[in-house]
Amino acid sequence: MNNEQQSRRAFLKASGSLVGSSWLAFHSPLILAVSQEAVKARDSGAAFETLTAAQAAELDAISAQIIPTDDTPGAREAGVIYFIDGALGSFGGGMKEAVIAGLDDLHRRVQSQRGEAALFSGLTAPQQIEMLRTVEDTPFFALLRYLTVAGMFSLPSYGGNRDKIGWQLVGFDNRHHWQPPFGWYDAQLTKGDGNA
Amino acid sequence: MLEPRFATGDPADFVIIGSGAAGGVLAKELATGGFDVVVLEQGPYLRAGDFRHDELAYIFNQELTGGWEGKSPQTFRKTGKDKAALKDLPPPAIYARLVGGSSVHFTGNYWRFHDVDFKERSLLGPIAGTGFADWPIDYAELEPYYTKVDWEVGVSGAAGPFDPRRSRPYPLPPLPVKSSGVLLERGAKKLGLHAFPAPMAVLSEPFNGRAPCAHCGYCMGFGCEMGAKSSSLAAMIPLAEASGRCEIRPECTAFRLDTDAKGRVSRVVYWDEKGREQAQQARAVVLSANGAETPRLMLASTSSRHPDGLANSSGKVGKYLMYNGWTAAYGLFEHPLNDYKSVQVTRIIHDFYDSDPKRGFYGGGGIDARPGLQATPMFFALAGLPRDAPRWGSEYKRMLSEYFTRSMEVNGHTTSLPLESNSVSLDPDVKDLRGRPALRFTYKDHPDDMAAMHFMQERSKDILEAAGAQRIWDLPVEESTITAHLLGTCRMGDDPAESVVDRYHRSHDVPNLFICDGSSLVTSGRGQPTMTIQALAFRAADHIKAFAKRGEI
Repeated sequence: MNNEQQSRRAFLKASGSLVGSSWLAFHSPLILAVSQEAVKARDSGAAFETLTAAQAAELDAISAQIIPTDDTPGAREAGVIYFIDGALGSFGGGMKEAVIAGLDDLHRRVQSQRGEAALFSGLTAPQQIEMLRTVEDTPFFALLRYLTVAGMFSLPSYGGNRDKIGWQLVGFDNRHHWQPPFGWYDAQLTKGDGNA
Repeated sequence: MLEPRFATGDPADFVIIGSGAAGGVLAKELATGGFDVVVLEQGPYLRAGDFRHDELAYIFNQELTGGWEGKSPQTFRKTGKDKAALKDLPPPAIYARLVGGSSVHFTGNYWRFHDVDFKERSLLGPIAGTGFADWPIDYAELEPYYTKVDWEVGVSGAAGPFDPRRSRPYPLPPLPVKSSGVLLERGAKKLGLHAFPAPMAVLSEPFNGRAPCAHCGYCMGFGCEMGAKSSSLAAMIPLAEASGRCEIRPECTAFRLDTDAKGRVSRVVYWDEKGREQAQQARAVVLSANGAETPRLMLASTSSRHPDGLANSSGKVGKYLMYNGWTAAYGLFEHPLNDYKSVQVTRIIHDFYDSDPKRGFYGGGGIDARPGLQATPMFFALAGLPRDAPRWGSEYKRMLSEYFTRSMEVNGHTTSLPLESNSVSLDPDVKDLRGRPALRFTYKDHPDDMAAMHFMQERSKDILEAAGAQRIWDLPVEESTITAHLLGTCRMGDDPAESVVDRYHRSHDVPNLFICDGSSLVTSGRGQPTMTIQALAFRAADHIKAFAKRGEI
């Protein structure tokens, strides 16, 4: 077994676990070039580079259930699918096979329940959630969760996190300089409140 | 001043392998002391301006730690009876590969060891089945060098109630307290414990021409773009180079040390930045490659005179590996803490530092409050919520928005007993891309180490409760399989049969081979080893310079 295979196998094994799913074998030299392409694609609504339109629609629907759109924007508005498209075509290329295979499996599940012509993205939201419950413990889902989170919260320059939607969701701000007070409790202390 | 270029065929006074916490100090001390120094560093030479706020690249792509794609595979097993398995996601040992080593990406907790850390075996007696031992030196002997680290590397802090005596105050005041520090102190006070300002290798004010911390929060796991983190890269390497006697050779991976007919080290064989084999002649060699890479090089450097590896007549090279136990509890609070800002740690607790026989086990430790890797949002979203929280969907999303700014982590940092069965060795089967045997880690915590972790986990939760947390959760305490601390694998001692280096860091077997890094430690301390590694390096440098001047190398 060569090292690439070892690496991929280790990843697939790890992707089933909470921590393992967050440690991926990305190829760093490609990141910058690819992310610039992903940003351009995202901002211009361009065609996908790696995924077919049909695959992208399905993956977009899945990521939109992982971080849904409700009273605040979710994965869809953050352009997560453009991050995924860029990642699978480059530094995350080792994941592509597992993503496509998982997608095919999901498609078969949808077809067996809803008929030959059915697509995951065509299901109602409650149906999509019910369907994802049946795969939520698979390495495939862990992978999609990882990619969705990465697309939501990594630097916008990677193609996702459009308008810093992910960071705004959690209340994070990427600055190069902060000054105290940093939070409510140290601010109270500065004000001389002994109960802080 | 132009950095000198030394010819590989001319013996350098010293070749130092590794440019991290210890190697950086030794390079600076030996070069400014008038010796010609070549530093071989396997990673690239990045400058402060190269570091980015890029969580995907640093935390997930491991851009600073490297080792992916078979470049440096590592295997792990719990005991010598098991077959070690490849484990690269994440690897068993995480360390940075670049000029400055792991001091570039570390957190900068600069606790000194206490008197007990050096003499605990005498104080408490032996522990069956372990290599529990006293150091050949004590705190008093190392104290001037701890002070040297404070003042030369740059440490911010204020003396705490349990600190050992110090000859000089900290050069810099503590960094401003964060909400996590305020809450830790609040909880501690209610329980009769004593939180105090964390000593940090991060500048709170301008110092030695370096800028202070801008509180950006990209600290643990990242390189400091301000140069405010007191890494070897920011604090030591520039001084070494300014001497005009030190050449830093980045992307040069040493893989063998050769000896001459007298059994002295004569040259270091390495792959250069283009992958070509080179050999640097040396009058003396200092190994500071870390507690895994140092024994790896020695074990790989076999010869008829050193059949079990260089300077390994004791058979102890790679043995007595210590990781430090680690625990994590978490609390959710009513108001925003924004713990993602500024340095990781601003308050610590040392009330449980000493081992107490009444607890029924050997061990002790310290506690601190910090955001951990959850400081950055991607890691937080993957692993920062309580274990029973939903992992996707609208409730998951709601919890992410509720928890990120309002939670904090309380860590316990504990002792690890030195066990001969815990080790770094060469894997007999797995090889890296260049055909070198992979690093093999064999590690299983002693039952007392586990007991110490459970104890600290409970104390951490007590503190969070007393601090008024609305919700408390934890990571279950488990046997260690992963570490950033690599300690004890070439331990220091007076007895050549029981240790690898003497009290001056000279190997017992090879007079011109010095070893100084985490591998020198005899005991693990309480979870923050870098301050001690650097104090040892300053002290070693003084002795090595004196030996060289007297012609005793």
